[in-house]
Amino acid sequence: MPTECLRTMSEFQVQGPLQSFSFDLFGLHIIVSESIVVQWLVMLILGVLFFVLGRNLSVRTRSRRQMLAELIVTFFKKAVNDTMGEQYSKFTAYIGGLFFFSCLSSLMGLLGLRAPTADLSVVAAWGLTTFVLVTRNKFKTGGVKGYLKSFIEPMPFMLPFNIISEPANPVSQTLRHFANILGGTVISGLIYFSLGHIANGFATIGIPAIASLYFDLFSAVIQAYIFVTLTMTYIAGGDCSPSDD
Amino acid sequence: MTEEIVLTVASETAEQARFSLVSIDLSTIVFTLINTLIIVFLYFKFLHKPVCQMLDKRAETVNKDMDDANKAKEEAQAVKAEYEQRLQSSKEEAEKILTEANRRASQREEEIIAQANEEAARVKMQAEQAIEREKKRAVNEIKEEISDMVVMAAGKVAQKEISASDNEEIINSVLAQIGEEN
Repeated sequence: MPTECLRTMSEFQVQGPLQSFSFDLFGLHIIVSESIVVQWLVMLILGVLFFVLGRNLSVRTRSRRQMLAELIVTFFKKAVNDTMGEQYSKFTAYIGGLFFFSCLSSLMGLLGLRAPTADLSVVAAWGLTTFVLVTRNKFKTGGVKGYLKSFIEPMPFMLPFNIISEPANPVSQTLRHFANILGGTVISGLIYFSLGHIANGFATIGIPAIASLYFDLFSAVIQAYIFVTLTMTYIAGGDCSPSDD
Repeated sequence: MTEEIVLTVASETAEQARFSLVSIDLSTIVFTLINTLIIVFLYFKFLHKPVCQMLDKRAETVNKDMDDANKAKEEAQAVKAEYEQRLQSSKEEAEKILTEANRRASQREEEIIAQANEEAARVKMQAEQAIEREKKRAVNEIKEEISDMVVMAAGKVAQKEISASDNEEIINSVLAQIGEEN
């Protein structure tokens, strides 16, 4: 980036995602966000990655590619089995897919794109999924009776707190992820912006990369991991089968 | 919900319409849900399922290999036991053969010694007989020689006075008398 541009930059702002394009479908005016466009790129990359990793697997000869594929699959299998239990093994694909989606979405910031995870709507969709899955699990394990009973556990006076905590878990999970990635983006941007005013902009070489290593790379992986771990815990915590009483 | 929260040092008009920084947009949520579903499907279809199938197959193969190895080990042990037994029996056989051979050898030895003794006794007897015969023959020869010498001596004494045949008759009878006395 030319030094002049940096020197003339006298403001720093973080904006919401662009409204890339819009179309009308069944009388609805649908606006496609920048986040969705970046998500499509992420999907393309992940599709190719999964396809390349998962093809030509053999029982005996183990290539590095296959070892990586085995490592990934067994990691999520083990994580789901340890955190949720054997009976929830069908959630493994959701947890694994969500982790990669979240992680790579956050990493898109490194390519100069706006990370989809820095958009509240995107993370809210996953939080909403968690809420739906938790509620579904409650009905599935305890029935309507078990679901209603879970609100007066362990004591009836806990009812208001339980009602609050029911949406609070997914909301806090959502906001944590969103705010961490957005915060990382803001801090990385601020560092870059402020260093642009030092030493004719040459300070922007190297130092932002180190900061970005934490705020973008490390944070992206850690937040994705935290998000899927919380998702697993909440869904498994929604178990209100009578045998637990 | 649509209230815009923008961190700005100085305001700048955006060329393109943007969503606000903290906002919830329904279409974004719906699109994200669809995309997540697709990603989860891709993860399951291309990575999770093939790897799990391969791992199951590997576990099966390993179990089968271990079973096979155990079976082979058992078989080997059975064969080993059989061979040890065979070895033991053949050792006993060899022992038996050796003992038998020793016994036969000693028997044969005794036989040979006995035969040799017999042979020696026979040879000795024959030799004694031969000696006896020789002795007799020698005695006879000596007798003849002596008779000849006596005849010669007597002839010289008598100087052809008596015929040789008459003299011989007399001398022989004398010698016979001597022989009987001996």
